[in-house]
Amino acid sequence: MRLVAEGLSRSFGTRKIIGPLSFSLENGRVLAVAGENGSGKTTLLRILAGLIRPSSGHVAFEDGGTSLAPRDASHALGWFAPDLALDGALTAAENLDFFAAVRGLAPKAGAAGRWLEDVGLDPARVDGVPLRALSTGQKQRVKLAYATLHDPWVLLLDEPGANLDEAGRAVVQRVVASQRARGIAIIASNDVRDLALADEKLALS
Amino acid sequence: MSSAQPPRVPLFRAAMAVVKRDLLAEWRTRIAVNALFLFAFAVLVLVGYAVGPTRLAPEDRPTVNAVLLWIVIFFSAMTGLSRVFVKEEEAGTASALRLAAPPPAILLGKYLVNILLLFAVTAFIVPLFLVLMSFEIKCPSLFVALLVLGCLGLAGASTFTAALVSKAAAKGALFAVLSIPLLLPPLIAAVSGTQVAAREEDFKAGVDFVRVLVAYDGVVTTAAFALFDAVWRE
Repeated sequence: MRLVAEGLSRSFGTRKIIGPLSFSLENGRVLAVAGENGSGKTTLLRILAGLIRPSSGHVAFEDGGTSLAPRDASHALGWFAPDLALDGALTAAENLDFFAAVRGLAPKAGAAGRWLEDVGLDPARVDGVPLRALSTGQKQRVKLAYATLHDPWVLLLDEPGANLDEAGRAVVQRVVASQRARGIAIIASNDVRDLALADEKLALS
Repeated sequence: MSSAQPPRVPLFRAAMAVVKRDLLAEWRTRIAVNALFLFAFAVLVLVGYAVGPTRLAPEDRPTVNAVLLWIVIFFSAMTGLSRVFVKEEEAGTASALRLAAPPPAILLGKYLVNILLLFAVTAFIVPLFLVLMSFEIKCPSLFVALLVLGCLGLAGASTFTAALVSKAAAKGALFAVLSIPLLLPPLIAAVSGTQVAAREEDFKAGVDFVRVLVAYDGVVTTAAFALFDAVWRE
């Protein structure tokens, strides 16, 4: 399995944000996307997630003889970003149970608790607490759980270490390490600790 | 399972997850419910006070009451039903939903939520309206059929329009501008049919209006499911 991006560019009006970019990533590899603010890191990850279309070029997720565009591969994608939001009126477990259900995962008792433990949250401490009442770092961890609960083949992490304490950063390291065994990860960040998790680097200007 | 093979997500199960999540969030925040019920209650009180049953000539009651009843239902729908999609964009939850849930399940779930909300507010409005306005219905089965089909049409068109306007800057104004022409045909049929239900005891006297509403609901639902994927993802 591999990710292939060819001639990828994105403009808003007359302003070119990224590209043209071409790169590929093989299974088991982690790519860091770095660049100053406004260089298009978030835009690139949103294109790879299928949330916005590129102005030109294309992205394909290739598996054997099959090639899927991001919009047809959402089952295989996990996306984490600062502007990702979950329902603040629901608890962390209710949010995760909801996303597991709409992703077609078989309902399992205690699954949400295990996903929360995987990102370093004590399910008992956040039980019954609406997501909006959690701290920013706790919300970040719940969003990590959202991105990984379906064991995606491609994990897209936009500023994964932002607002996290050292324990939270260790969770990010664990998540990236287990992602290597499952597929690929792409990390958009300027933080050296995030960039150190990657094998390859793509610098945007 | 190969990564290229998407899991089969049962549509109804995913839609019911959307319904459960939206109703739970609504139960805790009560934003749409408060808007719908407070608006409906305020208008009912106003209509009862300003028009009342005694100020209408008996021969005018079926026409005026039918129009007033559907005005209350229509504007209640306009007040609260756009929230199902608008709140996703405003809260920033739309992207998470876009990536995780199949578009038909999202539409079906949101449609069911709006149907439930509109049925609830209609069940609240109608008995109060009938009592306040001394509005006598001679064919209750026709009246109920019109209410059910009319609400299905209002909910269906409102849900799809809400998805269309959710990313726009002036959501409220755009929602009304797009919804009103879309909702006029079922409203005219519902008002005309309600007048017949108040005058005639025979269901057959108003069956044409029932047919119009069935056809409208079918067309709106089909069009919504056909177009939603493009509307939701772009």
